[in-house]
Amino acid sequence: MTNSISNKLDTALAGLKKSKKTGLMTHLVLGYPSRERAIRLAAELEEGGATILELQIPFSDPIADGPTIMKACDVSLKSGTTVHTALEDIAAISRAATIPVVVMSYYNPIFAFGAEAFCQKIAAMGVTGLIVPDLPPEEEANEGFLAACNRHSLHAIRVVSPASTYQRLRLNADIASGFVYTTSRFGVTGAKADLDPRLIGYLDRLRTIFRVPIAVGFGISKPEHVRAIHGHADVVIVGSAIIDFLHPSGDNSTNRNIPAFIHSLLSR
Amino acid sequence: MPSTQTKSGKPDLFFDYHTPFDADETGHFGSYGGRYAPEMLIPSLEALDDAYSEAVRDPQFQNEFFYHLATYAGRPTPLYYAENLTKKLGGGKIYLKNEGLNLTGAHKITHCIGQALIARRMGKKRLIADTGAGQHGKAVATIAAKFGFECTVYMGATDVARQRPNVFWMERLGAKVVPVEFGNKTLKDAVNAAMKDWITNPDAHFLLGSTVGPHPYPSMNRDFQSVVGMEVRDQISKAEGKLPDYLIACVGGGSNAMGLFYRFLNDETVQMIGVEAGGRGTGKLGDHAARFAGGRVGVAEGYKSVFLQDESGNIASSHSVSAGLDYPGIGPQLAYLKEKGRIEVVAVTDAAVLEAFKLVVSTEGIIPALESTHAIAHAVALAPKLAKDQVIVVNVSGSGDKDIFIIAEALGDDKWRTFLRKTVASYDAQK
Repeated sequence: MTNSISNKLDTALAGLKKSKKTGLMTHLVLGYPSRERAIRLAAELEEGGATILELQIPFSDPIADGPTIMKACDVSLKSGTTVHTALEDIAAISRAATIPVVVMSYYNPIFAFGAEAFCQKIAAMGVTGLIVPDLPPEEEANEGFLAACNRHSLHAIRVVSPASTYQRLRLNADIASGFVYTTSRFGVTGAKADLDPRLIGYLDRLRTIFRVPIAVGFGISKPEHVRAIHGHADVVIVGSAIIDFLHPSGDNSTNRNIPAFIHSLLSR
Repeated sequence: MPSTQTKSGKPDLFFDYHTPFDADETGHFGSYGGRYAPEMLIPSLEALDDAYSEAVRDPQFQNEFFYHLATYAGRPTPLYYAENLTKKLGGGKIYLKNEGLNLTGAHKITHCIGQALIARRMGKKRLIADTGAGQHGKAVATIAAKFGFECTVYMGATDVARQRPNVFWMERLGAKVVPVEFGNKTLKDAVNAAMKDWITNPDAHFLLGSTVGPHPYPSMNRDFQSVVGMEVRDQISKAEGKLPDYLIACVGGGSNAMGLFYRFLNDETVQMIGVEAGGRGTGKLGDHAARFAGGRVGVAEGYKSVFLQDESGNIASSHSVSAGLDYPGIGPQLAYLKEKGRIEVVAVTDAAVLEAFKLVVSTEGIIPALESTHAIAHAVALAPKLAKDQVIVVNVSGSGDKDIFIIAEALGDDKWRTFLRKTVASYDAQK
């Protein structure tokens, strides 16, 4: 199935293809380390050269996230982040950003809000896509989530992994929209020293199955990771590494030079 | 070999039993259940589902399962006519299904044996488990020791701190107990941590401990636990020459309730009551674990059901004097049975539980787990309203030996406090 959605995200992805560059999707948790700091962080990520901003709505039970993002969710929720404050912050970030914004959320906050109302609301803010890691295609019949995304011209971005079987990849390829988000290894999110050696072969196999661009995340924290992936994926996703950089253990300062860090990741 | 009754009436495979309330092929009980799991977990869940579906059609698997239940777990457990309690209350007859006599002191060992056999068929070498108070973790560590699995148990840091005896036994049994420092540091956070381990290590088996989680766990654990209901059917027919009028079970995730109820779902005359933890009785979020009174439909930990949650859909913390009921979600089949009106669900407060505990201990000489005492407390309230020939079966899902610290504290037992002080002093003196 190819849908007819075309928004700012597609323009950015087409631009990458044309310039033969690897894009960078940067991730942040809304409300972490504070609402104000997360909003400023988004601007700094763009300034550093990010191609896409991924904004995660914190959730109490983030089953696909590793310790770094879990902790960020925890801190954010404990400081009072709700779906409503998160939506306010998404609106503020979207207004200021010139690059496309996608929202990442576990399904329950969306379900609690109402999928239709949620999609309508973020689409009106200019959000281009939604990443929901705990909603496999089989649940669509019950949830009507993909249909709601479609109605509001939001890309429902699929998440797959090297553990996915060929049938699973095909199933997800059939409904893929915007780009496909793949993890780089077995496991949950979190910065790692080395990439899985089987990654390149896996990414090349994905190319033959998915028609949409490929974004690869989970464990990407160094310029050499980004270089290694060049040509095998269209976008690299960096999340935990930014939080780790923002808040190295024992350091309470949140004013480290984010644009320079992002810029360094993209250095050739 | 147990005799079982199927729709056709002929004895058949134990697991070949169906009701109109079962899940469809994708694990949905009406709109509940399903498999709301990250793509990284789906292949492992599919493989487990395949292995399970194959095993239940294999008579050899069934033989093994019942062999270990009989020779290791101690099944069948007795169905005991609580004559003193019945006379004291002056109404319906109360029977107690004493699951506390199983190895490890609760019904949990039954689905642990079932899943261990499945894991072995799948060639798995390692078990991952979550645990709240440590009862399930202890049962998993036990079967890991017996069957030779490596074993990692995730347990909220708060629970590790307050349930040392179970941590102690798990470690003696050879399990690695990992304290979880995230979220509320209790059961739901342990479930999350265990799932992450499984995502990272798909060659292990995740031994989920209740009728919750993504498909096939709710159906699989129910099938294993349905041995309880099957035994009760046999036992009550012999004792009373009829089926019970009421079945009562406490409901945390739902494994002991589904275990008791399942084989009676097709019998319309049998009424079923699930008892949730009313906790402090305030009805305030965080003060109880009464999902049907204070929860909403939601999706977490891989399944759709009724959850205690805030307005943003964040799963709330719960409270109960009994750790096993202190959980914000409920098995999807129970949510479906409630929606269909096939079961009734009530809540009982901590205070009422302690009263019922004192009553049953002193009249029957049975020390029930605080979880199970919720069910007894409701039976105590219900029995006087029934005729003398009506029969109630209560699932005493576990023994209360494990609750000695909590009960002693709740009853304000000064001699126990003195004992603890002296024990610590003598321990320190040896160092």
